[in-house]
Amino acid sequence: MSAATYLDYAATTPVDARVVARMTECLGLQGAFGNPGSTSHAFGEHAHGLVERARAQVAAAVGAAPGEVVWTSGATEANNLAIFGVANYYRGQGRHLVTAKTEHKAVLDPCRELERRGWRVSYLVPERDGRIRADAVAAALAPDTVLVSIMHVNNEIGVVQDIAAIAAVCARHGGTRLHVDAAQSLGKSTVDFTGWGVDLMSLSAHKVYGPKGVGALLVSQRRGVHLEALQFGGGQERNLRSGTLPTHQLVGMGAAFELATADPIAAAAERSRIAQLRERLWQGILAFGGVLRNGAPEHAVPHLLNVSFEGVEGESLLAAVRADLAVSTGSACASASNEASYVLRSLGRNERLAESSLRFSLGRYTANADIDRAIAVLGAALTRLRRIAGQSQ
Amino acid sequence: MNYNDQTRGYFEAAPGAGELAPGPDVSRGAAGSRASGTWVQFDLAWRPGSGAARIESARFLAFGCPHTIAVAAWVAERAAGRGRDPALPEPLAALAQRFAVPASKLGRLLVVEDAWAAAIAAAAA
Repeated sequence: MSAATYLDYAATTPVDARVVARMTECLGLQGAFGNPGSTSHAFGEHAHGLVERARAQVAAAVGAAPGEVVWTSGATEANNLAIFGVANYYRGQGRHLVTAKTEHKAVLDPCRELERRGWRVSYLVPERDGRIRADAVAAALAPDTVLVSIMHVNNEIGVVQDIAAIAAVCARHGGTRLHVDAAQSLGKSTVDFTGWGVDLMSLSAHKVYGPKGVGALLVSQRRGVHLEALQFGGGQERNLRSGTLPTHQLVGMGAAFELATADPIAAAAERSRIAQLRERLWQGILAFGGVLRNGAPEHAVPHLLNVSFEGVEGESLLAAVRADLAVSTGSACASASNEASYVLRSLGRNERLAESSLRFSLGRYTANADIDRAIAVLGAALTRLRRIAGQSQ
Repeated sequence: MNYNDQTRGYFEAAPGAGELAPGPDVSRGAAGSRASGTWVQFDLAWRPGSGAARIESARFLAFGCPHTIAVAAWVAERAAGRGRDPALPEPLAALAQRFAVPASKLGRLLVVEDAWAAAIAAAAA
């Protein structure tokens, strides 16, 4: 295990020990190993009961009804099911989608695939603060728009979109369906699926101290939204997502979601603690000079800080800190490409500044000492690289 | 991105990073641009009285990826004793192999080569 300081909680989180315990109870001969679909015997009944309890936990955490939860392998699958599922079901009504340039690849890539199939997609450009204005969504809606897909919390800059306002715009436009990628939201910002008036919402377990490989798509029953399934065989999840349900994964997600929301006062205190740590980190970085904060902090979740560094090349900066500091350039999903962040480019940053940005994401186990170490490591790397680049101040 | 030991070593130590004070026996050459993501500069100190025939020492500056910095440092380290030869101490293909430079980054080695040639040309001028 690396001794580096971990500040990449937006990429993934360690599984909470209490979640591990609940998951472990499902495994082995004494565990709930029965197929949740095999309710003709006690083993299956037991597993089925655990799955339904997890479903209720997830629903309760995000203001949904248990019957609105469709289990998936994660937020990527949920996004695909939402976008292709709606597009396929409603293609007789139109062939136009609205989304934003700053969405996750798990939304943008399905949209581009639909474009290849002849659909039109409007990609909204955010304001300089990273927010998508509801009136910009309204302006993009067309008579043949079948879906709007806007994320709640941006995975690179942490900016929170006003989903309720966007949902209101969609409602005024004849009830155009709204899908929200909320993979980054739970534990950092309030999520209210029913209250916001959203049709579909993607969720992930591993961003909130749950296991990887499990997520959910919320499908509003009250609003009567329909989907076409993308995989077949077994008819699980109301025929929307066939496949044997992984009891231990679902139990883990349920437990993680319950832990994230069970004590609102403790959750608010934790958000406050994280926000203070983030500001301590930002003030330390600010002292280096030649740094720019990406995204408006007043509209962002408390755990995320994205900074562009002047006078250094991005890959070298990451290479210089990686032994001591686990951070990301852009999103974890795009880091392998070494390309400048398309999110930061959408905010108006030039290619150099977009490419020389680091995302710091804090979490439950981040302490003052981690922040101080991060500042020291960054300071040493910046000084050295700027000297090598002839950019010393 | 993974780097081999040569790249890591020269990137982290960056021997010869810096500039030489301008003078009659110092030549300077640069190539690339920071705006494009890769910029390299070499300063060459010529042995006094040699008529710019032999390099006494070299320094470099580099804005770029770890491969760029490592190769520039390696070239500067091997400059002493060399004459007015615009070629790098090793062909680009050998340098690419030595530092395990991915094919997508080979253009950055050209910037190192151009900066070196410019520093040599500046001495001859």
